[in-house]
Amino acid sequence: MTDQVDPKVGVIAEPAAAIGRVLPALRGWATPRTRAAGIALVLLAALLFPPVIHNDGDIDAAANALSFAALALGLNIVVGFAGLLDLGYAAFFAIGAYAYGAFASWQLQPAWSGFWEPFQWLDLVARVHQAGGDTVHFQVSFWLMIPIAAAIAAFFGVLFGAPTLRLKGDYLAIVTLGFGEIVPIVARNTPSVTNGAQGLNGVLPPQLFGFNFGVDATPYYYVGVAFVAFLMFTSQRLKTSRVGRAWMAIREDEIAAAAMGVNRVHYKLLAFAMGAAFAGATGTLYVAKLQTATPEMFMFPVSVMLLVMIVFGGMGNVWGVVVGALILQMLQSWFLQDLSGWINAFGRLVEVEWLQHIQLASSIELIFGLILVSMMLFRREGLIPARRRVAALSLAEQSAQVGRGGIERLSGLGRVAEKSGEPLLEVKDLTVRFGGLVALRKISLSVPAHRIIALIGPNGSGKSTLFNAITALVPAETGTIRFAGEEILGLPPHRILERGIARTFQNLRLFPNLSVLENLLVGMHARLRTGTVGAILRPPATRREEAAARERAAEILSVFGNRLLPRAQHPTASLSYANRRRAEIARALASQPKLLLLDEPTAGMNPAETLELVEQIRNLNRLGLTILLIEHKLDVVANLAEHVVVLDHGELIAEGTPDAVRRDEEVIRAYLGRQALVA
Amino acid sequence: MVDYAVLLQQVINGVSLGAMYALLAIGFTLVYGIMELINFAHFNVFMIGSFVGMWALELLGLSGQSQILTGLALVGALAFAFVAAMLTSGVLGVAVERIALRPLRGVGGTTGMITTIGVSYILFNVILLGAGADAKNYPNPMPVVRWEVGGAVIDLREVLIWGISFVLMLGLQLFVSRTRLGKAMRATAQDSEAARMMGVDVDRVIVTAFFLGSALAGAAALIFGLYYNYTSFLIGYTAGLRAFTAAVLGGIGSITGAMLGGIIIGLIETLGGQLIAVRWTDVIIFSILVLVLVFAPSGLLGRAAPTKS
Repeated sequence: MTDQVDPKVGVIAEPAAAIGRVLPALRGWATPRTRAAGIALVLLAALLFPPVIHNDGDIDAAANALSFAALALGLNIVVGFAGLLDLGYAAFFAIGAYAYGAFASWQLQPAWSGFWEPFQWLDLVARVHQAGGDTVHFQVSFWLMIPIAAAIAAFFGVLFGAPTLRLKGDYLAIVTLGFGEIVPIVARNTPSVTNGAQGLNGVLPPQLFGFNFGVDATPYYYVGVAFVAFLMFTSQRLKTSRVGRAWMAIREDEIAAAAMGVNRVHYKLLAFAMGAAFAGATGTLYVAKLQTATPEMFMFPVSVMLLVMIVFGGMGNVWGVVVGALILQMLQSWFLQDLSGWINAFGRLVEVEWLQHIQLASSIELIFGLILVSMMLFRREGLIPARRRVAALSLAEQSAQVGRGGIERLSGLGRVAEKSGEPLLEVKDLTVRFGGLVALRKISLSVPAHRIIALIGPNGSGKSTLFNAITALVPAETGTIRFAGEEILGLPPHRILERGIARTFQNLRLFPNLSVLENLLVGMHARLRTGTVGAILRPPATRREEAAARERAAEILSVFGNRLLPRAQHPTASLSYANRRRAEIARALASQPKLLLLDEPTAGMNPAETLELVEQIRNLNRLGLTILLIEHKLDVVANLAEHVVVLDHGELIAEGTPDAVRRDEEVIRAYLGRQALVA
Repeated sequence: MVDYAVLLQQVINGVSLGAMYALLAIGFTLVYGIMELINFAHFNVFMIGSFVGMWALELLGLSGQSQILTGLALVGALAFAFVAAMLTSGVLGVAVERIALRPLRGVGGTTGMITTIGVSYILFNVILLGAGADAKNYPNPMPVVRWEVGGAVIDLREVLIWGISFVLMLGLQLFVSRTRLGKAMRATAQDSEAARMMGVDVDRVIVTAFFLGSALAGAAALIFGLYYNYTSFLIGYTAGLRAFTAAVLGGIGSITGAMLGGIIIGLIETLGGQLIAVRWTDVIIFSILVLVLVFAPSGLLGRAAPTKS
């Protein structure tokens, strides 16, 4: 293992240049031409469907199927991207539907007064002359109601999402289920607005340039196509952006996402709001087409059907979700009916009574159940998995090219502007308590800038707890933590990363189903600016930012030679243990930290790999990075750190140079017990 | 003006309903305590239990509410129906675990729960397609015997429901606290990894939990039929969700909590219906579900909030 560089890979010598050749995806967003052609073809087929089929019943079924595809896309944002299992999603569909229903029907008819005049000028309401006094007729345009209904639903998405923020998994699902039950019951029980169980009637059909949509299915079909196309575009762009990566990071590991700078509250609420907005807009379309709305249209079975669609198609995959939704809807409206017809005809032929009465369409829910169970048992990733297979590595890529830490420059790292004499990190009298157990008792330590400090101590001595307290993953009871001259105790984890403290975890908390590259890009979350609008529209500034981010990711990966670079597209779950340790360090580096907290970075590495990492860490330190290190291998500690802090039972028992600490009686007692000292 | 006789009557009705919810809630709590899984299949295991109980009574030649039995014949008929409903439900619960959930052992997240939703749908539709969508008149051989207490009426069926629920719950408590397998269950609920290392056969514990929980759901199902004199493919969802709320309110994972929660939910249902409006009871119950989960996830008697992500 020497520093020689394989010319074929050449990743160490000139990372950024060679990367484009090795891994095109590292260059940024690009749509291959074949993919664009495929999309155009699908769109063309969708547009030609009505004139070719020319059967109103089929077009009607297709329009409904598109509505459910749009809903499934919304649910996919919440469940597939952000991993928040929502079992009450139909509630937002209902809210959008009733929003349009109330503002574009004869349901609400308040008495006329001067208050309504400005709205009459805007053509939002009409004055109706009636015997008992004039009344108001709401007639807000369908096109105006789409964004309004989306906004109302998004508001409820945030409202119902907020209480679930601290909940996880099954519990979150049950709370959403509760809300999903409450909304239709409230709709049923407030007949003044919703006309109760009978349902709204006389909902106005949309108009476009004087053309009234009426009851003909074709115009609704085209609006449906536009809806689904727009929502697919939006979902796909969000997914491959800073926003989508933040959602997926939360889905994969909430704690790690927070520690890497993702504001969990913000992104969870954003997912709920986006998902609900999709449903609200679709509710408008659905009700306009049906021209009625009843509470039964939005109950639990609808939420489950949408869940079946995304589980079937491939949770998290935009195309998969749409294909899943369309297949299941077509199954329901066409295939099962045809099949029942054939079986009935067969029954008449062979004169078997019960075969003549089989109605398979009524067993659609049985089929949903079977699909759900068999997908979970045999193909959890769905028909079209969210993650495509990656090509196997070539032999050249597999043979290790060891980076010996000869890096001269790494963007984002550099010397910290030092305030006179003040250490970069200063912990004072920090106490952390778990119930009755004092995990840390009045710990004080300081980490001067540009140094490597090691933290050692027996298992359970509180080392990782100290890291958790500094990064706000556990609350401290008393004490202060100052970083770069400012108090950081009390800040949420993502703010602490923004200030410049990044960390790795003792038990590895990578995002297992995201690629190495995506893990690094999540690490950069706090340093990138792209928001929701930018992610969807992708203005030049956003494109530049993304390209630069990917380039920087490649640069950071090259710190580890070719250990990670050829595997940039691989999910981190498939990496070797040592490579996962490296990937986690790389992810932390991606956040451009001033202080890096490494929790047993060499655990599970063999002596050669350990030595390699030690040199890389020292190299990073030379480039200006301050490092606080938990380590059990004392040779690593002696090799790297000038100053060692020893914890035992949550108390700081010694500190000093590695040699001094090694001779300290307290330390020997802590590690080997009292007996050893006596002997 | 509050009519105390009516209120007392509603309390009596509420305790009866509550006893049924409690039996049903125990199934949720046993499974959640051990696997941290919310078992949606439980809803329709309960529903199928009520059909099995009905078929068992019909097998004895009973139908409707006019054929009255007394004495030993009544005890025998009810015992037969309870054993049939409980055994079938118990076996069904175990089958669900073996076929749909065991292959997913070790797969984290919400996979297990999504699977149980699918199983629940299958059970629901098998009964819908097999037995039809109409509500079934439930055979009820109990004689009409009534006692007047402070203006309210206690039926024989109420006394029977209380008695049977009490005996079953006492039996469960004794099983869990006294037997070897019961101890293994408690150990697994505390820490399944440690229990496994101490030699507990965790799979056997899980099967036991599913069997016991589902068998009690079968008993609850028969009680439902005898109480309301009908059953239908639809009953699982509403009753199941209320019982689940009871389990959450009592503190999921806690058997005593499930009993307490069941009684409270039963009382809320009848008194809420009396004092507010029947059409809002579901909103009240679901609001309790949401509020408890969000603000006090350990419930009245439960342990700390779940840690699984």
